[in-house]
Amino acid sequence: MDFDIIFGNAARAAFGPEAIILALAAIGLNIHFGFTGLLNFGQVGFIMLGAYGTSVAVATFGWSLWVGIPIGLFLALALAVALGIPTLRLHAVMFAIVTIAAAEIIRILIGSTDAIGLTGGPLSVSFDAGAFFDLNPYADGPQDRYGVGTFAFTGQQMWVITVGWVLVALVSLIVFLIIRSPWGRVLKSIREDEDAARSLGKNVFWYKMQALMIGGVIGGMAGVIDAIKTSGADPNGFRPQVTFYTYTALLLGGAATYMGPVLGAILFWFLREWIESFLRQLSAEAWLPGAIADFLEGSEGIISVAMVGLALVLLMLFRPQGITGNRIEMQLDAR
Amino acid sequence: MMLAVPALAQDGAEPGQTQLNGTIRFGFDQFFEGVAITVADSSGAEIGQAVTDTDGRWSVPVPGPGAYRVSIDTGTLPEGIRLREGQESLVDAVVDAGQSRAVVFAVGEAPKGTPFGERAAQTVFNGFKFGLIIAMSAIGLSLIYGTTGLVNFAHGELVTFGAVIAWYFNSSWGELNLIVAAVLTVIVCGMLGAGLESGLFRPLRDRRLGIFQLVVITIGLSLLGRQLVQLFFGAEPLPYRDFQVQERWEFGPWAVTPREVATIAVILVALVAVGLMLQKTRFGKATRAVADNADLAAVSGINVNRVVLIVWIMGAALAGLGGVFQGLDADIDPFLGFQLLLLIFAGVELGGLGTAYGALAGSLIIGMSTEVSTLWISPELKFVVPLAALILVLLLRPQGLFGIRARVG
Amino acid sequence: MPADRPPPEGPSAPEDRSMLLDSARRTTEVEPILTVHPEPGVAKPNPILTMDGLRRSFGGLTAVDVDHLEIERGIVTALIGPNGAGKTTLFNLLTGFDRADHGRWEFNGQMVTSPSPDRLARRGMVRTFQLTKSLAKLSVLQNMLLGAPNQMGERLWAAPFRHLWRNQERTNTERADELLEQFNLARMRDELAGTLSGGQRKLLEVARALMSDPALVMLDEPMAGVNPALAQSLLGHITQLALSGVSVVYIEHDMDVVSGISDWVVVLAQGRVIAEGGPWKVIHDESVIDAYLGRRRAGTEA
Ligand SMILES: Nc1ncnc2c1ncn2[C@@H]1O[C@H](COP(=O)(O)OP(=O)(O)OP(=O)(O)O)[C@@H](O)[C@H]1O
Ligand SMILES: [Mg+2]
Repeated sequence: MDFDIIFGNAARAAFGPEAIILALAAIGLNIHFGFTGLLNFGQVGFIMLGAYGTSVAVATFGWSLWVGIPIGLFLALALAVALGIPTLRLHAVMFAIVTIAAAEIIRILIGSTDAIGLTGGPLSVSFDAGAFFDLNPYADGPQDRYGVGTFAFTGQQMWVITVGWVLVALVSLIVFLIIRSPWGRVLKSIREDEDAARSLGKNVFWYKMQALMIGGVIGGMAGVIDAIKTSGADPNGFRPQVTFYTYTALLLGGAATYMGPVLGAILFWFLREWIESFLRQLSAEAWLPGAIADFLEGSEGIISVAMVGLALVLLMLFRPQGITGNRIEMQLDAR
Repeated sequence: MMLAVPALAQDGAEPGQTQLNGTIRFGFDQFFEGVAITVADSSGAEIGQAVTDTDGRWSVPVPGPGAYRVSIDTGTLPEGIRLREGQESLVDAVVDAGQSRAVVFAVGEAPKGTPFGERAAQTVFNGFKFGLIIAMSAIGLSLIYGTTGLVNFAHGELVTFGAVIAWYFNSSWGELNLIVAAVLTVIVCGMLGAGLESGLFRPLRDRRLGIFQLVVITIGLSLLGRQLVQLFFGAEPLPYRDFQVQERWEFGPWAVTPREVATIAVILVALVAVGLMLQKTRFGKATRAVADNADLAAVSGINVNRVVLIVWIMGAALAGLGGVFQGLDADIDPFLGFQLLLLIFAGVELGGLGTAYGALAGSLIIGMSTEVSTLWISPELKFVVPLAALILVLLLRPQGLFGIRARVG
Repeated sequence: MPADRPPPEGPSAPEDRSMLLDSARRTTEVEPILTVHPEPGVAKPNPILTMDGLRRSFGGLTAVDVDHLEIERGIVTALIGPNGAGKTTLFNLLTGFDRADHGRWEFNGQMVTSPSPDRLARRGMVRTFQLTKSLAKLSVLQNMLLGAPNQMGERLWAAPFRHLWRNQERTNTERADELLEQFNLARMRDELAGTLSGGQRKLLEVARALMSDPALVMLDEPMAGVNPALAQSLLGHITQLALSGVSVVYIEHDMDVVSGISDWVVVLAQGRVIAEGGPWKVIHDESVIDAYLGRRRAGTEA
């Protein structure tokens, strides 16, 4: 059992592209759910359109990556509008379910055999993200590693990570600026009681739409990073549980806080990778009875996702406000 | 994306081999084995051959970067499957050094020779049956929401458990007849429901945990349950041992198997029984009173916790039975219930949250539209139709077809 | 059912509420209304709100069925009636929170064509709710600031640039502090609204509605659950409001309050206006007493 390796792997996941993607998705969701109270359970749809918009523009249409990225973000924005018009008037529970359904519709369409010519269908799509990596200032030879032990990245990864975390910081700053304004106050009033907001002259539908669009585009950014990181997109990567992971990260860090989604995403990947690495190490231990080792072998990923589910349950039981949330605010819910 | 082991963990491994590869598949779940693929260079000289494995995958290493011609032997495709319209059997592909290049052959089902009317009748029948399965599974979701306000995202996993537990009884533990297995499954699922309510949700309600927190807990349980199924049962779809091959009975335009008739009969009996129970019995009246206003019901002497407990037992048992039937139709895998959950939600919402008959009608509409749509569109897209229909209906009637708008102020 | 719903009768009010009547008022704004003949649906000299054929039914139950009603500008109008008379439903219809089956109404001289709550609020018709809607996780001050109209900082493009809205925010804060002071809430300024007591929430809601300098305020049982001393000052505010030119309609069950501060009283029973007129006349009207006691009279059904 080598805890250095386990910690190294966990730290690498916590600061790697996966955490960046999750952080952006959670920042967007925080605007929807945390500040506006929209129970968006289709955040993965925005991520998916960001990823596919970019990928398809480059791979299928042969356009430059710098055209593809805005297309991905635009598609996420368009989804917000298309989804918002019929659904923003719905009861919160209905909104939740319709948003899951919408994201699933998109996934099924993108992944269908009929769409092969456009999106690659079930076969996924891949493209050349060279335009992005040409700008890479990090030396990227086969021997170049940045970090210590297993907590190390290649030059290419470093470039993705640098751009990604800068983006996370910028987006967080913008979110902070708009949420502390009177505009953000209106969002919160809608979260608390939309009829009250209406009675005070606020156009609730329009504010919700703005929130849905902003959070959706930030979700789209997560997709863009994902597309660049993997040089493509695969429909199976955008199942509804991605949204649930995003909620986990958000609730872990603390919804309706500024740093919550980022801390939550880091922690989510740290814990998940820690467990998986730990189990992988464990299953290789000689003292472990053969049956248990066989059972663990190859199931580490499944178990670590099961732990995500368990973590959600425990989190709600023991610290529903997340690590940075405010306990007193949570208690007001019960009144 | 996030499902994968972080790509980082594998990065920096061996640089890729220069090769052509692909998967011969239809939709997400049908992979074709034994399909022959031939790769030639641009002059037509053969470079290599491959045959797809059980996952429909093939790959052919090539000597270096350049343009190649890939062809598929359509004769090796399974019966009833052919290349899609517009898909050539010969494809040009360019490979870069050290890269694997995926080559796509789009396949689909060959059109059947059946006349439209007959196919229409058959899909309506399938849709009716599917709608009934959805409706039965939806009862618990709807009643639990009605009595406690909880939207149970783990309800789909109750359905999955039903299918999986029945499979274990049927194929592994004692190899019981599926009917016996189904009865045992219903009992086990009912007990599971009782355990969830009395062991988890009742204490949490007593602790006055907010409704959103409770919903998140069900999401956690849903993930946990699904992963456990994957861990123990595996991700591979498996069928029951019994009732797989049955002779079809002909009724006019319909050709139905006895198991389908049994499915429909059992569900209809169950639905009528539940309906009568809600309408006529004291328990039914109590349930409606609790759904209307739990505090008021408690004050007027109704044992709210007992009502909710029975609702959970009944709901979980029916969901489990729904799973057993769904497993007869589609093979059993960890996603069986979650996929159904979306349709259950859609049915319940289409009818209007909290309306019992609305949920039934909504479920039937969802089931029908799912199956009937396959007359015109590819079956892999069939779940799109009911979900899109749901969104459209809500655009016109935000409260659902039979729902009532809530009062303000 | 939330705890802050008042018992139907309400706390019995101290006798001296009628003393709040401002004698100066009677001779100025109120005078024209005194000349109006007290009968249901009568025309008034200067109405701010006029409704025609307003109807709303829920299934078989007709909750509101008002043939014609005018609300006079610049005075305090009380809307009374037994429980379930349709008072709240009428408020909901007029403010756009519910949709009428039939009917038209005019606000401030303009027809209300597509009643949307926020648009009507911006046009100057603000309301409060019978079951309070304080925004629990916002501070009392933030609740107040939300009431302010035309805020630059509520536009998305301006939101990130604080200097664009800082001055307006400061002015609004001053106004909010004034109102909080008047409503005895200054102490709670920075507390979360969710921690307020039921009565304090009622006060907050009224104060918040006043942030927008409305033309017409519609208060749904503002006094319910507020302790007598505070209710007293709330009554004072209502009278004050009318003096400063704001029209007030409020729903109230306590007849002492009604007779104390209303210039005009409209009685609703089973959705219909069965009487209106000056407070003393109406309250002692026999058909009104019958309506409250649940008796029907042939004469009022026509
Ligand atoms: N959304 C609704 N659905 C069904 N019935 C409703 C709805 N809203 C109001 N009602 C019914 O309309 C009638 C009038 O209700 P309303 O709330 O307007 O009474 P009210 O005069 O405000 O009574 P109170 O003095 O008790 O507040 C009641 O019988 C009520 O049950
Ligand atoms: Mg009322």
